[in-house]
Amino acid sequence: METLTPGGTSKNSPGAPAAEANAGKRFKKPSFWRTALQQKYLYLMSLPFVIWAFVFSYLPLWGWTMAFQNFKPAKGFFAQEWVGFKHFQELFTDDRFYLALRNTLAMSVMGLVVGFIIPVIFAMLLNELRGMLFKRFVQTVSYLPHFVSWVVVAGIVTKMLSTQGGAINDLLVGLHIINEPVQFMAKGEWFWYIVTASDVWKEMGWSTIIYLAAITGIDQEQYEAARVDGANRYRQMWHITLPGIRTTISVLFIMQVGHLLQIGFEKQFLLGNNLVQEYSQVLELYALQYGLQMGRFSYGTAISIFNSVVSVILLFTVNGIFKKVSKESIM
Amino acid sequence: MVSKKVKWVAPVALASIVGLTACGGGSSSTGDSSKAADTETGPVEFSMFSADPNPNWVGMKDEVGKAITEKTGVTLNAEYAIGGDTQKIPLMIASGEYPDLIMPKGDTSKLVEAGALVDLTDLIDKYAPNIKKMFAEDMNRLKYSKEDQSIYIIPTYNGVGQTSFDAGGGFELQLEVLKELGYPEIRTLEDYENAIKEYYAKHPTINGQPTIPMTLNADDWKIMIGVTNPAFLATGLPDNGEFYINPETFEVKMHYKRPEEKEYFRWLNKMYNEGLLDKETFTQKDDQYKAKISSGRVLGTINQEWDYSEAENVLKGSSDATMQNRIFGHFPVTLSEEYKDHSFMDVGFPGGYGIGLTTNLSEEEQIRAIKFIDWMASDEGQVLYQWGIEGKHYNVENGKRVIPQEIQDRKTKDTAAFTKETGIGQYTTMAPHYGDGVKDATDNYYTTNFPEQIQSAYTQPEKDALKEYGAKTWKDLFPQPEELGTSPWGAAFNLPAPSDPAYTVAFQKQTDIVRKRIPEAILATPDKFDAIYDGMIKELNAPDIVKMEEIFSQQVKDTVELWGTGK
Repeated sequence: METLTPGGTSKNSPGAPAAEANAGKRFKKPSFWRTALQQKYLYLMSLPFVIWAFVFSYLPLWGWTMAFQNFKPAKGFFAQEWVGFKHFQELFTDDRFYLALRNTLAMSVMGLVVGFIIPVIFAMLLNELRGMLFKRFVQTVSYLPHFVSWVVVAGIVTKMLSTQGGAINDLLVGLHIINEPVQFMAKGEWFWYIVTASDVWKEMGWSTIIYLAAITGIDQEQYEAARVDGANRYRQMWHITLPGIRTTISVLFIMQVGHLLQIGFEKQFLLGNNLVQEYSQVLELYALQYGLQMGRFSYGTAISIFNSVVSVILLFTVNGIFKKVSKESIM
Repeated sequence: MVSKKVKWVAPVALASIVGLTACGGGSSSTGDSSKAADTETGPVEFSMFSADPNPNWVGMKDEVGKAITEKTGVTLNAEYAIGGDTQKIPLMIASGEYPDLIMPKGDTSKLVEAGALVDLTDLIDKYAPNIKKMFAEDMNRLKYSKEDQSIYIIPTYNGVGQTSFDAGGGFELQLEVLKELGYPEIRTLEDYENAIKEYYAKHPTINGQPTIPMTLNADDWKIMIGVTNPAFLATGLPDNGEFYINPETFEVKMHYKRPEEKEYFRWLNKMYNEGLLDKETFTQKDDQYKAKISSGRVLGTINQEWDYSEAENVLKGSSDATMQNRIFGHFPVTLSEEYKDHSFMDVGFPGGYGIGLTTNLSEEEQIRAIKFIDWMASDEGQVLYQWGIEGKHYNVENGKRVIPQEIQDRKTKDTAAFTKETGIGQYTTMAPHYGDGVKDATDNYYTTNFPEQIQSAYTQPEKDALKEYGAKTWKDLFPQPEELGTSPWGAAFNLPAPSDPAYTVAFQKQTDIVRKRIPEAILATPDKFDAIYDGMIKELNAPDIVKMEEIFSQQVKDTVELWGTGK
């Protein structure tokens, strides 16, 4: 893995590690302390952030010890009873855990796929629009839902899908596609799709912004050259715009994969109901209900350790694959 | 390389520790200074947490709140849980940071296990004459358990010596339906169903929108209030939470396992399949349910009045006379004539939820806090937060406290704003108090709920309907306490839940099963109902759930022994 060299930026170009290795052979590598002295101001400036990261991201890891104890809040650390992997055993033998895991993975993979493809396509289409005013208008309208809280979105979705005056049912009945209103929210197998669709509605415009920004960075001369070569709009999109934002796409993708298991639970919690719990139960909700709410801190910690470990593995795997295949990675 | 790394890690770690301790010191010192005050009546601020939501809390800026602060010097910095929030207290335990006063509802045992609650036995004995007087006979019922006989919580949710004068539960039917059908007798599920059916056939729409013959609130935990609890109420059992307790042997089983309850759910299944039970019952959220009630289109619901009163108030405040008549009456409906509704069974003083002091308070502050609670339990305190301020919210005429009509009107029709402004009703659960029907030394009732008051608080349509039934209150229609016997363990849902994981995990599992299978069974076609219901019973007979029932059974036996109420 490439480390961040002090004062320098991380080097993503494929030739960089080799060049560095060569440099190391020819010149005596300056000692750590000499570099530090030379760049003392840079070090000083980064110090608060190092401390911040240490305090808020690494110190709390100490709490992981809880997962191996029968943690009782009132007792001191040394008075706790150590139980080894008992909580993990319990976790891995619980059917509800696998159910929650399945739902989490299903919804996040669906969200990942759809939540990637649609904003990219949308950004490319928006980019092709020539009327500046119209483009701005569409963009603003499309990202407004991002600022609406999930509580409100859940309310809108339930109302839209309602059997009594819900817009979707009214439309479908009106067009004679169905004969009587469908109870969308009562069908467990549809729950994943409803969550994914509402997520797309809410976040599509917002995710588009970053791709639009990346597109503006593409050299206009490339388009001109392509036009000279006879490329039509679609060809230009396919051969210039898309490769132009490829790096952005892969960086975002890798980061998203790291969050696969951490999809939160607001959506599922707010949209779900007792009928669809088999499809709406997700890991974080499981950790809350079977861990924290019962005061089983150790069990909750065990779930969160599982979460973190899987996330780190996923992140490195995807990063590794991207590094091999496309020479693009974030580490 | 390793040693070099260590060299720079050390100062970083040191710096962060210094930073952390600095922060820690800062916050605790400010906490102390605000409370270090005169132990008698000097100004003092207590933080408080309640596990129940309270949207009307205005931080003691209301009239009663100001009066309390004036008398006691105490200002409460209260935080209320939001909705069915159950993570707040576990979070407090994890962080070790507690408020001064706490009303933890069902989470008491978690706090006790964490050593966060102060044993109040001696404090009450020395500094709280009013509380002592109030619980004189029932002090045993305040004790935590057979093993740990400390008093951690002073029960404040249930009034001492409470007699209910009005019914808020049972099965609800719209007054307009009753009027149209000539006030028929509503006693069994069949009566109830027929009334709904008949009116629905005549009026398929109300105000141009489709009529909803019957809807229930099944959102999240309220599924218990609206769907599953009525199953035992309609089959002649008092409320013992999710359990049926054998009154002879104290054996416990999930109440769903009683065969008669299966028949109740079969009735709901039938109602659904006949299109009488709202199709959205199990998918709608709390607010959608209330919106339906307030539209006046719902003919019948099964609920407790506290859950829908907000929506009903919209109807009460309507200018249209028919809309005003679209509020609900309460009926003791059961599966068949052989069962009696046990809503009003005498459970003795049930103990139950209340207020406790945490270890966050120093000994001096504990004394101050218990004195505050004791003042709230005094006659002066109780009259203040139940009735309000004399001359403003009530008058004394011929030695009787009387609420002026315009105040009463505001109280009934503009409840939220009235509560926010006056604070009446805001402080009741903060201290032990006498219940409805108990009179003070001046021969006045402590609370504002007494027969005459309740009757004058009814709106005209309610009065009219009750007159037709020859009753003064809805309670008159229900079986009276004298016919129902007593319960040696109080009400089981008031007992602290065991904190043993063998109980809590199985209880959560049971909750998941019931909340999934019951809706499934009701929404199934009639031929599939049996298979689904029997499948649920099979799941509820899993060894861990049976074990849970045994643990709770032991709890009941211990309680009966501790209270000395056994036979």
